[in-house]
Amino acid sequence: MRTKLHTVAAAGAAALLLASCGSGESGGGESAAGLTGEGSGESCTIEGEVPLGAVLSLTGAAASYGESQQRGLELAASELAEQGGVTYDLTIEDDQTDPRQAITLFDEFVNDGVSLIIGPTLSNAAVQADPIAQEAGVPVLGISNTAEGVTEIGDYIFRDSLTEQAVIPQTIEAATEQFGLEDVVVMYSNDDAFTESGYEAFADALEDQGVTISETITFSKSDTDFRALLTQAQENEPDALVVSALIEAAVPLVTQARELGIDVPIIGGNGFNNPRLMADAGEAAEGVVVGAAWNSASDNPENQAFLQAYEAEYGSQPDQFAAQAYTGLKLVDQAVRANCSAERDSIQEALGQIEDVPTVLGEFSIDENRDADHPAVVQVVENGQFAVLQ
Amino acid sequence: MLGQYATTLTFIALGAIFAYSFYAVLIAGQLSLGQAGFAALAAFSGAYLAPAPADVGDVPSLLIAVAIGMSVGALGAVVLGLPTMHLRGVFLAIATLGFAEAVRVVLLNQEWTGGAQGLGVPRVLTVGMAWTALALVAYWFWRMGRSRYGRALEAIREDELAARSMGIDVGRHRLSAFITAGAVAGLYGVLYAYYVRLIAPNDFDFVAAVEGLVTAVVGGSTMFLGPLLGSGFQTIVPEIQRAVGVEAGWIRPFLASLLLLVVILFLPGGLASLIPRRTRMPSGPADDDATGLAGRRHPEAGQPVVTLSGLGKEYGGVHAVRGVDLEIRAGEVVGLIGPNGAGKTTLVNMISGLVPPSSGSATVLGTTVGSTPVHRIAAAGVSRTFQHSKLFNRLSALENVLVGAHLVSRPTFLRRLFWLPSARRDEQAALRQAARCLERVGLSELAANRAESLSYGDQRRLEIARALASDPSLLILDEPAAGMNHVEAARLSELIRSLARDGLTILFIEHNVGMVLQTCTRVVVLNFGEVIASGVPDEVAADPAVIEAYLGSAEEDADGTGARAGATAAGAGDAPPDAVANLRPGASGTLDTPDATRDAT
Repeated sequence: MRTKLHTVAAAGAAALLLASCGSGESGGGESAAGLTGEGSGESCTIEGEVPLGAVLSLTGAAASYGESQQRGLELAASELAEQGGVTYDLTIEDDQTDPRQAITLFDEFVNDGVSLIIGPTLSNAAVQADPIAQEAGVPVLGISNTAEGVTEIGDYIFRDSLTEQAVIPQTIEAATEQFGLEDVVVMYSNDDAFTESGYEAFADALEDQGVTISETITFSKSDTDFRALLTQAQENEPDALVVSALIEAAVPLVTQARELGIDVPIIGGNGFNNPRLMADAGEAAEGVVVGAAWNSASDNPENQAFLQAYEAEYGSQPDQFAAQAYTGLKLVDQAVRANCSAERDSIQEALGQIEDVPTVLGEFSIDENRDADHPAVVQVVENGQFAVLQ
Repeated sequence: MLGQYATTLTFIALGAIFAYSFYAVLIAGQLSLGQAGFAALAAFSGAYLAPAPADVGDVPSLLIAVAIGMSVGALGAVVLGLPTMHLRGVFLAIATLGFAEAVRVVLLNQEWTGGAQGLGVPRVLTVGMAWTALALVAYWFWRMGRSRYGRALEAIREDELAARSMGIDVGRHRLSAFITAGAVAGLYGVLYAYYVRLIAPNDFDFVAAVEGLVTAVVGGSTMFLGPLLGSGFQTIVPEIQRAVGVEAGWIRPFLASLLLLVVILFLPGGLASLIPRRTRMPSGPADDDATGLAGRRHPEAGQPVVTLSGLGKEYGGVHAVRGVDLEIRAGEVVGLIGPNGAGKTTLVNMISGLVPPSSGSATVLGTTVGSTPVHRIAAAGVSRTFQHSKLFNRLSALENVLVGAHLVSRPTFLRRLFWLPSARRDEQAALRQAARCLERVGLSELAANRAESLSYGDQRRLEIARALASDPSLLILDEPAAGMNHVEAARLSELIRSLARDGLTILFIEHNVGMVLQTCTRVVVLNFGEVIASGVPDEVAADPAVIEAYLGSAEEDADGTGARAGATAAGAGDAPPDAVANLRPGASGTLDTPDATRDAT
């Protein structure tokens, strides 16, 4: 036993040593040489590999989003590799849905000399980790951060994801017009940052439209039985249910509402914008209205190409997270090629000037606050598919 | 060079501080998950109430927040601890977990905390500050380890009942350990908040609590470096995986969990068990006078020590003890004998305060038994051993005896924090006292051995040494010779007589009737919970009622067995192989006094 313990100790020490060597090699920081090339736009050729880092939540609570994002990024990366001229060295890392890991990873990517960091998946991790990149002058492109204030961290922080504040008012406006809403019941999970900020946007938008909120009901993101809450909501005889929830809660909530005979429209936030809604809730999902940053049914050529490529590669339908991730890397390529330079400051400048670029998400611009600007879409589930609400 | 690892190093320090908040209670054997709640309360109140760094400067702002956070954490521990400190093991874990969940839900629903979206906090903490805080916390637990307070906590962890009997106020010690945990968790919460820039109530959820607990246990919960090692391990494992190029995804948490399993399987004491533990031995002559020890005034010979009148104990209609009137005077050596189930152990448990009587009254060394907690009765001068050894198994023999000296040594922890020479003197005095007691029972050579590694006979003697260390007025021994061979039993008998010569009052239960008759000045015989005889050994041995109790009724068992057993009991002085065989009820005809009995007393 004694020798065994010593072996374990020795192995541990060796591993530590290995670790310090490992990060020592990569931690020197990339030299600036080789990141500026010749030509511009499509003809741009950069000799060196352009190092990019991505911090995604591949495991932990937000793993389902992170995995979609990873697929979107990898699909875009393989397409860019075929295109040639500029070679990207994309390192995707997992923050385990843990802010400490996100902070550590941002620190490491900054030290490793990446030209730009994509991510992180969750808005709260962005608030915690983005300042590190801002201080070091490394541009960040958020691909799913929807909370307010993320880009206010500094002039190196961008995002291609529409905020809830951009999408939800359009959803409410369209729904009010369509269904003639007068009073609604609002339900949301109040222990999740994303759904809570979604709720705030809903409440503001409903007030703007002059719709009365007869009751606000909160639940936990881990809840799966909503029957009691739905009965409570039903007693108000609302014109619609407005729900801000993650997909894990959305599916049982919608199913149980229909079971209880609640046949008024259900209006969902960004969390509903997931193919699983139709796959898991089936019939019950019919008629659910979802505001989204990405119109999956859009027939613009970029979107059609993306849908086909994704289906061919992974054998399933992409969700909005995959679409935004895919778009994100394409926008980075656009920014690099604009000045034909992958220097951090050059990318930062070029990202800020992106305007009216045709993307999977539609005509895309970065506004003066470094936030995304493109048309949102209000969808309704029809025949098991998202269709544009008209 | 260091700057590159600043983030990782900071998280190692933060993780270690959080793990120390678990260590603080694990060392006293308490399993709590409430630390996440304390940390959350502290983080939010500290960040919310402290002035902004822009107004007063970084360090003052952080220090104010730390002061607020630690106070809130400690206060939370008091509020939670008062109603829950009587809970043990998994029940305490569940109660404290409930508290942490309640805190999280309340914070989620408060306006000022920002709800689920959290509260923004400026980043002030640097790697240097984090490690300074960690060093202070580690220093605190390092100095606590070898102090009287630290030993008392370890004793409570190893055996709570024995710790009580050594005069340790278990409730107070457990509560103070819990408050320490609350304050350290509060420190963690504030430091964490001032590093990660945004805190949300969900950062302090069940998962966080379990992670802190795992870190403390993996590191080792019996050695002050444990939490630091555990946090280093937990923080570096993901780094190693990245460095060696394990692909990001599910495989990493899987490997990390596997590694955790391996560590726990092969190092049940945690990583800290790789560090050899040094047992401190007393320096200086062991026969030195007992300076530095709180003296104790013993009752003068002939004064009543124990007065029982009509004492009874009933367990659901079964009278274990009834109507016992007994007085033990200082200087007596009283042997309590009786068949199995006669109520002997129940009677001494009542005298030592472990079991409250159901009727009658008992006064022991001026304290009334029944409402007085065990440690108070111990403080009055009662010290005891147990029928089944209740040693502090993972402590060394010497440390066991040091805990025994709890009542006569002075608190040293706070003075040890400041390296005051007087603390060292007091510790040395306690060590010398412990060494003397070990020597007295003949265990000096085994002082550094863990109690659980000792032979059965040595464990019984160690228990006596531990009981002696408190310089008791009344020593209660519950079957001290059980399992001893005749040589050991003879030596024990000699030890008891020598203690009696020193003026100690002794009450002991023993099945070895030969030894009792040899050693005692008075013998009390219990049968079916009642005293059936009491007097000098010769008289008692000849008492027909006693003989009948041991024999059963004469008709049932009138063959030759009695005569044979009687012969062996009579021959105790000559030490035939089974001379000390426990005397079974109904196995003896006569109870002859061995020849050697009378001269010693």
